[in-house]
Amino acid sequence: MAILFDPNQAKGPRDDADVTGGESGRDVTDEFVGGRAEAPLTVSALVADVRRVLADGLPRRVVVVGEISNLSRPASGHVYFSLKDADAQIPTAMFRQAAAKVKFDPADGMEVVAEGRVDVYERQGKLQLYVNRLTPRGAGALELAFRQLAAKLEAEGLFDPARKRPIPSYPGAIGVVTSPTGAAIRDIRRTLAKRWPAATVLLIGVPVQGDAATAQIARAIRAASANAERLGIDTLIVGRGGGSLEDLWCFNEEAVARAIAECTLPVISGVGHETDTTIADMVADLRAATPTAAAVLATPDGEALRQGLLEQRRRLDRTIRTLYTQGQTALRLVRRSEFFRNPLHRVEAFSQRVDEAGGAVRAALLERAAGAGHTLSELTGALRWNLGTLAKRRGDHLARAAARLAGANPRHRVRYTRQSLSTLRRQLDLLTRGARRAGTVEVKRYERTLEALSYRNVLRRGFSVTRDAKGTILRDAAGVHGGQRIRTELANGEIRSTVDGPPAPKRKPKTTPPDQPTLFGED
Amino acid sequence: MTKQKMTFEQALENLEQIVSSIESGEIGLEESIAKYAEGIKLIKHCRRVLDAAEKKIQLLTAEDDQTLTAAGELEELEEE
Repeated sequence: MAILFDPNQAKGPRDDADVTGGESGRDVTDEFVGGRAEAPLTVSALVADVRRVLADGLPRRVVVVGEISNLSRPASGHVYFSLKDADAQIPTAMFRQAAAKVKFDPADGMEVVAEGRVDVYERQGKLQLYVNRLTPRGAGALELAFRQLAAKLEAEGLFDPARKRPIPSYPGAIGVVTSPTGAAIRDIRRTLAKRWPAATVLLIGVPVQGDAATAQIARAIRAASANAERLGIDTLIVGRGGGSLEDLWCFNEEAVARAIAECTLPVISGVGHETDTTIADMVADLRAATPTAAAVLATPDGEALRQGLLEQRRRLDRTIRTLYTQGQTALRLVRRSEFFRNPLHRVEAFSQRVDEAGGAVRAALLERAAGAGHTLSELTGALRWNLGTLAKRRGDHLARAAARLAGANPRHRVRYTRQSLSTLRRQLDLLTRGARRAGTVEVKRYERTLEALSYRNVLRRGFSVTRDAKGTILRDAAGVHGGQRIRTELANGEIRSTVDGPPAPKRKPKTTPPDQPTLFGED
Repeated sequence: MTKQKMTFEQALENLEQIVSSIESGEIGLEESIAKYAEGIKLIKHCRRVLDAAEKKIQLLTAEDDQTLTAAGELEELEEE
């Protein structure tokens, strides 16, 4: 028990007066002696006497160690409690002004060092310790205050990770609450210029230490929050450079902590050095070790972004080059293909088939209608011409397409993607298929023409066909002899007759001569 | 400012999409070329933002909890 002054001593000045024998004690005794002789004292006079004795007998300033009990805080802002140890206690009062300066929150059971004076509260005749400075015993006052506020805000959930808001990745404007002349803004500015110069920096200048700082910092944060939308502020940095615990103290004040907690903007704190952790850090959405670190956390890494863009650029170039090469290869392949080297080939092949069909028909015609060859060859010629034109027309398309491809400027070649090439191919396919279809139609028409030109139509025009008994067509009168039965076919019906004249000599009948166009050629 | 921020973010996003779509090979060459040109434009835009000149720091004063007033610009950094 470290009692620097025992208040019990002051309790009985009357008893002690004789014992102490000090100068002041003797004075008091003298007065009492005088008082006892005559009229009684008023209470006020007595208490006044006691006060005087106390004032004279005790040092003006006493420092007492004890435990707080029965603490009360009326609305007045004064704080009352008893300071006690195992054997004694003394009522204690701490008036509002003194109480406001106490960083921590005094509570029952707390060991404290109280500094003040002893006096009598006259209205109650009560001896009282008037404290003007109270510090916790053991831990420093600031340390205790810190722990207390941290515990309180934690209990309120202000440090809850779930409350933390994300920091915008690409801020347009960054608010900074710090001193306009401190190291912090210099560091922040330098960092922002390097990393993210696109951001506008709005500095809300405040003192960052001293009595007025706490209120001004809190106000600046609230004002930034209130104007965030108007000014387009995305992120708020709150901080200051390094200093002593006392220098940084305002960032441990409840007012600043609450302003940060209530701020609508994401707040990054950057106070002091790496080792300093403040209440502001705990409430902030993101704690940065220093103001520089706060600027880093508030911004994207410009250099990394630059590298990223470079990489994207490389990927784009690489891909487009690959596609270009692929397109070129595909183009080369197609152009080198049989189809493109000889686009008419398929049409020609088809045309040949038409010729063959035509030839077959022609042969059949010749077989069945000897002598019709002349007209037939004309017709065949016409048909050939038609087919030729057709083929040529189709061929022109192909040739033009091929020419377009061949003539493509290398710069534009890349446009002929595999896709467009295959489209082109499809078109060409359609084209040739169309040509083939058209050719088939032509052949059919040709057959119809041939049909129309069959000998029966000739018969209708007044000609007739005469056959021998075996049905062989008679082409040469020399081969016919008397008595031979023949049949003459007309457009309608036939005439059976017997040939006049001498009978035939014994020899084989003549075969069909190679060509007898006269029969049909007469008209 | 918010608009500029969005643009940068979107530009990056669009760029990423363009690069992937071209790389996937799922679009034709013609479209790829168009997208390539668009990608180059976005890269240029982003670079412009990154290479922006440092802006002056605007000084503000908190009159009260609600009011921020302009108080000029912070002096240039003297060192360097």
